Formats: sequence, C-alpha cells, structure tokens
Amino acid sequence: METIIEILSYPFMQRAVIAAVVLGAVLAFIGIFVSLRRMSFFGDGIAHASLSGVAIGIIFGFSPLIVAVLVSAFFAVIIYLLEERTRISADAVIGIIFTAGMALGALLISLKSGYQPELISYLFGNILTITSSELIFVSAIALVIGTIVFFWRKKLLLLSLNEDLAKVSGINPGIYKLALYIFIAVATVLGIKILGIVLVSAVLIIPVSAAKLVSSSFRGLSIISVIISEIIMIGGIISSLVLNTPTGATIVLFGTILFGMMFSFYSVRGKR
Amino acid sequence: MMKQQAIVLEARDIGVEIEGNVILNGISFSVFEKEIVALIGPNGAGKTTFLKAVLGLIPYTGRISLFGGEKSFLPGEIGFVPQRFSIDRSFPITVREFLSLINKRKGDEEVLKELGVHRIYDRMMGSLSGGEMQRVLVAGVIASRPRLLLLDEAVSGIDAEGAKNFYEMIKMARDRYGMAVIMISHEINIVYNFADKVVCLNKDMVCFGNPASALTPGTIEKLYGGEASFEPRQPHHHYHGNDN
Repeated sequence: METIIEILSYPFMQRAVIAAVVLGAVLAFIGIFVSLRRMSFFGDGIAHASLSGVAIGIIFGFSPLIVAVLVSAFFAVIIYLLEERTRISADAVIGIIFTAGMALGALLISLKSGYQPELISYLFGNILTITSSELIFVSAIALVIGTIVFFWRKKLLLLSLNEDLAKVSGINPGIYKLALYIFIAVATVLGIKILGIVLVSAVLIIPVSAAKLVSSSFRGLSIISVIISEIIMIGGIISSLVLNTPTGATIVLFGTILFGMMFSFYSVRGKR
Repeated sequence: MMKQQAIVLEARDIGVEIEGNVILNGISFSVFEKEIVALIGPNGAGKTTFLKAVLGLIPYTGRISLFGGEKSFLPGEIGFVPQRFSIDRSFPITVREFLSLINKRKGDEEVLKELGVHRIYDRMMGSLSGGEMQRVLVAGVIASRPRLLLLDEAVSGIDAEGAKNFYEMIKMARDRYGMAVIMISHEINIVYNFADKVVCLNKDMVCFGNPASALTPGTIEKLYGGEASFEPRQPHHHYHGNDN
C-alpha cells in the first residue's frame, strides 16, 4: 500500500490519474448515447482510423495526439455526410473509414525508417507518458465536450429515442447529430494516449453496459455509469501498478471482469 | 351545422416524389380548429408521407400553410404520435423522464393525472406494454397542448379496450383545448363515427368531406379494391382491406 502511495506521489503518475479521472467521466457519459444509438462500432472505427493522424503527427513533427483529434473530427463529419446523403449503410461507411484510416497510418509510418516506440504507445496506450501540456489539452477538450453534452442531454436523448419526435419538439436533428458524432469521435481519440487506439472504445461501452444492469432511470444510469467508469480507471491503474502490467490493457480487463461479475450477480438474482 | 372555425392547416396541390415514384399527387384540403380529420387509404397510399410533409420531414411540392401563416411552426404547436412507437426496452428511462422530454409546458400535471399516467410515473418505459407506452406518449403530447395533433395509426398494436380509451383521450383533448386532429386510421367505422371529415388517399385524393357522404361503397371500393366491405354504424367493425 505504501508503495502505491509513493508511486502516486510522482508527478507523471498524478498526471495519469487526473487524465484518467476526467476522461473516465466524460467517456462514460457520452457512452450512454453511444449505447442508446448502437454506435459502439463508430467509436471503435474512429479510434482505429485516428492512426492516420498519429502517423501524420509523427512524420511531420506535430503533436500526434492533436493531429489525431483533428483527423477524428474530420472522419466523424465524413461518416455523418455519407450516412445522411448516400444509401451506403452506416456500418459499411464506418468499416471503410476504419480500414482506410488504419491503412493510411500504416503506409505513412512505413515511410519513416526505424522502430517507432511512440507508435506502439499510441496503439496500446501508455498512460505514464502523458506530458503536462497533453494533460491540459486532454482535460480542457474533454471538459468542454462533457459540459456541452450535459446541457444538451435532454435534446440528445429525445433525438436518440425518436428522431421524428425530436424534430417536432424543435430540435434540428442534423446539427445535433453531427455535433454528437464529432463529440464522440474527439472524446474517444482523447483517450488513445491512456488506453490506446485498439482499446479505448472499451471505456465508451463497458461502464454504461454495467450501469444498465442496475439502473432504472436515465438519471441513475448517468450517475452510475460515471461512478463505474472511475472505479474501472482508478482500479485499473492501481492493478497495473501492483501487477506491473500495461496500464491500458489492465484498465480494460479490470472493467471487463467488473462487468462480468455484475452481469453474473444480476443474472442469478433475476432468475430467483 | 358546424360553425366555421379558425384555419389550422391548408394544403394546396401537395405532391411528393421519391426516386421517380409518385407517392402523393395533387392533395388539397383544409383543417379547421376543433376538427378531427381522418386520413384513410390502403398501405402505400401516402398517408404517413403526408404527415411527414406537414412536419417538414420530407421535401414536397405545393404549399402547406399552418395556423394561417407560412409552413414553419413553433416547437409545441404540433403534437405528433408516430406509428408503433417503441424504444430500446433495456434502456432505463422512467415515464416521468420521458414526459419531460416531450412535454415542454409546465403545470399540466392535472392532464396527466386525468389520463391515468401519474400512476406509472416511476416505471421504466421499457417495462410498459405497447398500449401503456402509446398512452404515455399521447398523454404527454396532449399535455403539451399543441394546436394540431397528428396521429399516425396510433392505435395499431393496441387491444380494443386500449383503443377505446385512446379515442376518448383524443376527443377530450379536442373538446377541452380546441386542438385540431389529423389521424391515420384503418378502422372505417371509427372514422365514420368519430371524424368530422375524412380524406381518402391513394396517391391522389379519392374523396374528401363528411364521412357520411364521402364514405360510399363506391368510394371504398375505389380506394381498397373489391375485397373491401363496409357497413356504416356497426360498432366494433374492423376493416380489413388489402393491407399488404
């Protein structure tokens, strides 16, 4: 225990914990709309496609995280436009962007010779490498997105439940849907430094899936999703310190085990 | 004789074409305050399309003016109950929370109480039966007191008792708040006994007017084909036309 407290006193660890707590709350809350709209594949696809942004950053000497965020917002707009204005199905559009973004990233990285340790940290996450400026960037953007989504929650909820009812209520579906797509994309990609491109969408999905097992209202779902997400983030980080395992992977497995335990408990209870 | 009321909706020569297929052609009629107007016609006749045009959800030709002005409307002026409203049953949202999304007007607890919705305020929407869910939606829409209520086959999937309650709610809303109603229905006898006017659609407008004069056996046959039968004023008669 003392060792953990000592490790948590290091500045790099404190940055990691702050980033995890802020992102944990925002991703869990946005995850409610991802779950309701069945957009898990969107989050996963955008995260993977952001590899192209990471690659552009590495090759041209920009911040890979900032370029990845900008690229993810661009991909979100492209997916929205293709979904709305063509007959291509949503999963096909996401699948195309997903693979094309990954392919572009791989191709660009191949132009730079030598081993790229930074690339590996973006692929699988390395929470311990977050710099102070990255922490400020991630926290500021995440808090802005979280605040807007919180104030728009009723509109986004009605839009996600029934688009026609939303329109009749004076909500412009196009504007709010496009904004939600961009928010989901950007918030997801903000997490690639912690959890990695491959794993980040877990924080969009696992907390809300676990919270749905115990919630009977939207308010309850919102609060419990955020609490579970924070438990997963903090629990995962501490577990990774104790077990000396990769932080991103440990956070995701910690969350999966927690979900599995909750699911088993409530399934058994439900059958009685 | 019905007194002439303020005009709520005026449709002039409405046409809708989707990918080269004519869905609606030359539809013109008006709806006045406190009127219940039924839209009838076979599947694919363009009934839902017409409601979507009124709501501005699809492009159309012609002119729809609402409340004596241009086609746009303010939030809350039109209430809409979609066909077979359903939500993800695993998604936790209470009846109270759902009502707060669709009912912008404060102080209408009385209406919701009167419509029996207050008893299920704290239940999850996903635990409601189809009839209960539709009742919550209609009660929420009525409590918002729109000037025009659009119902898209709102009783489909609801049992006879639920349908009876539903029509009582609509009539109460019309009588108390003076709202106009446009409802899509397949129940010819309900239309006959309940609506002030009927609009028969089959891409074109086949008939329009008072149900007693407009719904002749000839019109019904023209609308639904030879399989249709209709005996006016027989209670509980459910029309089964060429729904396919």
